[in-house]
Amino acid sequence: MKFANSISCRKIGVGLAALLVAWPLLYAQRQQQSERAEPAPRSEPAPRSQPSRAPVQRSQPAVVNRTNHGSVRRVDTHVAERPVQRPVEARPGFNGNHDVYVHHDVDVDVRHDRFWHGFRYGARFGILPVGYISLMVGGSPYYYDDGLYYQQAGDSYQEVYPPVGADVPELPDGAIAIDAGGQTYYYAGGAFYVQQDNGYNVAPPPIGVTVPELPPGAVQVAVNGGVAYQFNGIYYRPVFADGVTQYMTFMP
Amino acid sequence: MKKISRTIHLAAQRLRLFFSACALAGLWTLSARAADVKPTDAKPVIDPSADKVLKRMGDYLAQAPFFSVNAEVWQDIQLGSGQQIQAGRTIDLQVRRPDRFHAEVHSTRRNRGLFYDGKSITLFNRVQNFYGSVPAPATLDQALDTASERFGIAMPLEDLVVSDPYQSAMQKIVSGRDIGPVTVLGIPCEHLAFSLGTVDWQIWIEDGAKPVPRKIVITYKDEEGTPEYTAIFSNWDFQTKLPDFLFTFEPPAGASKIDVAEIKTENQTHKNEGK
Repeated sequence: MKFANSISCRKIGVGLAALLVAWPLLYAQRQQQSERAEPAPRSEPAPRSQPSRAPVQRSQPAVVNRTNHGSVRRVDTHVAERPVQRPVEARPGFNGNHDVYVHHDVDVDVRHDRFWHGFRYGARFGILPVGYISLMVGGSPYYYDDGLYYQQAGDSYQEVYPPVGADVPELPDGAIAIDAGGQTYYYAGGAFYVQQDNGYNVAPPPIGVTVPELPPGAVQVAVNGGVAYQFNGIYYRPVFADGVTQYMTFMP
Repeated sequence: MKKISRTIHLAAQRLRLFFSACALAGLWTLSARAADVKPTDAKPVIDPSADKVLKRMGDYLAQAPFFSVNAEVWQDIQLGSGQQIQAGRTIDLQVRRPDRFHAEVHSTRRNRGLFYDGKSITLFNRVQNFYGSVPAPATLDQALDTASERFGIAMPLEDLVVSDPYQSAMQKIVSGRDIGPVTVLGIPCEHLAFSLGTVDWQIWIEDGAKPVPRKIVITYKDEEGTPEYTAIFSNWDFQTKLPDFLFTFEPPAGASKIDVAEIKTENQTHKNEGK
């Protein structure tokens, strides 16, 4: 009996020792596997009916997009973040390709037509786009669809600038996450959205942030002898950021 | 007596337990440290033949006082839907060691020039006629680092431009092998394959007296879709002299000078904000 107890104690001891030795090895291996398996940041398309989507995952801070760079020396640099994507929806009179990858430091040709790229301030339409929603902003009625805002003008509907304070259930297609002053903004169609409980709110444009493309319909102006663009009262100055031309908001 | 014997027995048992625990703790620490050693810390395993061919190419480029080359680059891009496509561009590169660099990057909608004249790096957006310059260090290696690390500028084909392409390439290699002889666009080459762990790269080096790269493929295995970057080289020229003016940017009529922003990191804004 005593011998049996001694044997089982030894077995337990050996087992415990083996577990203690193997645990860190197994843990480390698992950690390495999970590091390898971790996918690049990518937002999954969400059904249109969802009230809001998860925020865009973003890459680590810094530096040149390594896939774009194509350098063995720079393999430690980080991948770029991807924009919010939404399912493609057929719209009458619009053949834009919603299914694209856009990042400001990718120096390649990829078409990135968005529904809101067609914005022209004051453009009038007899009917609203399929799938529009009604909004009240500051007591005024607006109509909204995928980054474009409309107001009634007589018996037609007129495209207007994104009204600050508008609440929309989901981000426009192709919105890009931008961090500024501790706040994450989602930029699309000249509007800066911030996330809230049940969707997104059009915020006043932050000054001093860099965006990868001008708002549609931005007008070129001269400010202090330099080139700038104006959209809805906000000025955008071209700047080389990440080696390519982007635009920084400013107030002259 | 019995009591004393029992006490001694208990003490001995506790001592055994204590030493066993110490031994286990020691083993645990050792195994934990062993587990922390990543594969990349291990000595690289490189086929001597691959090493020899790569070194020959690196030395050839390093010793060239100047050269020019054209490259066709194809880069995998993943669409939001998950579909993967390839986007292409061409690069015309001119290098004069130790302190001159000029690249023209062309694609259907983009057209950019990058100039380094030993004093400054200038970017030129030919489509919109914008240019911007930043001061740069006195050598190519330092200028490449400044461009990438401070301004986020991807200087094209910099693996071939650095002063010692072989040492630069070898820095992070985990393994390498010589795949064997193949032809690239009809040119006999030696096909080498290297791994950096999460990134693989291949190079096809021309056989004969001019061991220049004819093709490079970098595979990013740690990214979704394992995207690849492919560069195919042509028109290597080590004879035509490259005068100063090729590397010095002269703004054309109507060009607008714009700022070059430094890399934005977390909780840090661009330096030229609010100007």
